[in-house]
Amino acid sequence: MRKLLQLIFGDLRNVTSVALALLAAYGLSRIAPAAGGILLVLILVAAAAVQAS
Amino acid sequence: MSAAQWGGASAIFLASAVEWVEAFTIVLAVALTIGWRRAIGAAAAALALIGILIAVTGAGLEAAQADIDRIRAAIGIFLLLFGLRWYTKAIRRAAGRTALHDEAREFAATREHLEQSESRAAWVIAFKGVLLEGLEVWLLVVALGHTLSYAAAVGSALASLVAVVGFGLALQAPLTRVPENSLKFLVSCAILSFGSFWSIGGIVGQQAAWPLGDVTLLLLFAAYAVAGRIIARALRMPRSRGPLGMRA
Repeated sequence: MRKLLQLIFGDLRNVTSVALALLAAYGLSRIAPAAGGILLVLILVAAAAVQAS
Repeated sequence: MSAAQWGGASAIFLASAVEWVEAFTIVLAVALTIGWRRAIGAAAAALALIGILIAVTGAGLEAAQADIDRIRAAIGIFLLLFGLRWYTKAIRRAAGRTALHDEAREFAATREHLEQSESRAAWVIAFKGVLLEGLEVWLLVVALGHTLSYAAAVGSALASLVAVVGFGLALQAPLTRVPENSLKFLVSCAILSFGSFWSIGGIVGQQAAWPLGDVTLLLLFAAYAVAGRIIARALRMPRSRGPLGMRA
């Protein structure tokens, strides 16, 4: 079960990165809908860079 | 099939191929220890279980009376979690910060382990190996299949299984020449593209979030691929060669 959960969600850093990216993207999209997606991609790429380093 | 469906089917085919290659290595090691008949039996039992999981969860999602946008958002978030993990891992390997997955070493380690095990334990190793690798295939088939097409998703996973087993049986050796990390990197870019598209699109509305429509998927894929290469290049360790075709 633990293995399955890890398979789906990854570690805490992974979950936090995705949650923060989505929250920020959602917040921005309320002001500028088309910019939300771009912010989502930028934050995810930044998160990958931090996690990979 | 639309471009998005082709993209999803290709992502499933490549992702499944990576998992099947790893599973084949284990089954081959077991087959050479306890014989092909029992090893294939263990692999078939694990594959049957994965088939049941796909059928049950797929039917459950089909029957769910939720709004399509909500389902897409949920699947998109799952794909982001799954994709970011693969993306980061592929970048680390490309940068030389994590060792590449080595099928020959995996094969040797499994055989060494099997020499100290009984025949029944060897069966369990083959079963568990195929099941664990197949679980990732299950997750992707259900997630992408629900929004694209279950037939295409299952067909892609089966086609890659047939291809890997065919090549593996022809060679009778671990498939060491498959560029696993490059495949994982490309697949993670595709998964992140679908995840980004559906998650925020499902939350704020597809048209509002992505005014360009399905074409956005290609742009997202390109953005993740270029960014990943740049990050891997920036992080690479000295005197190593990255598997994404970069000198490190």
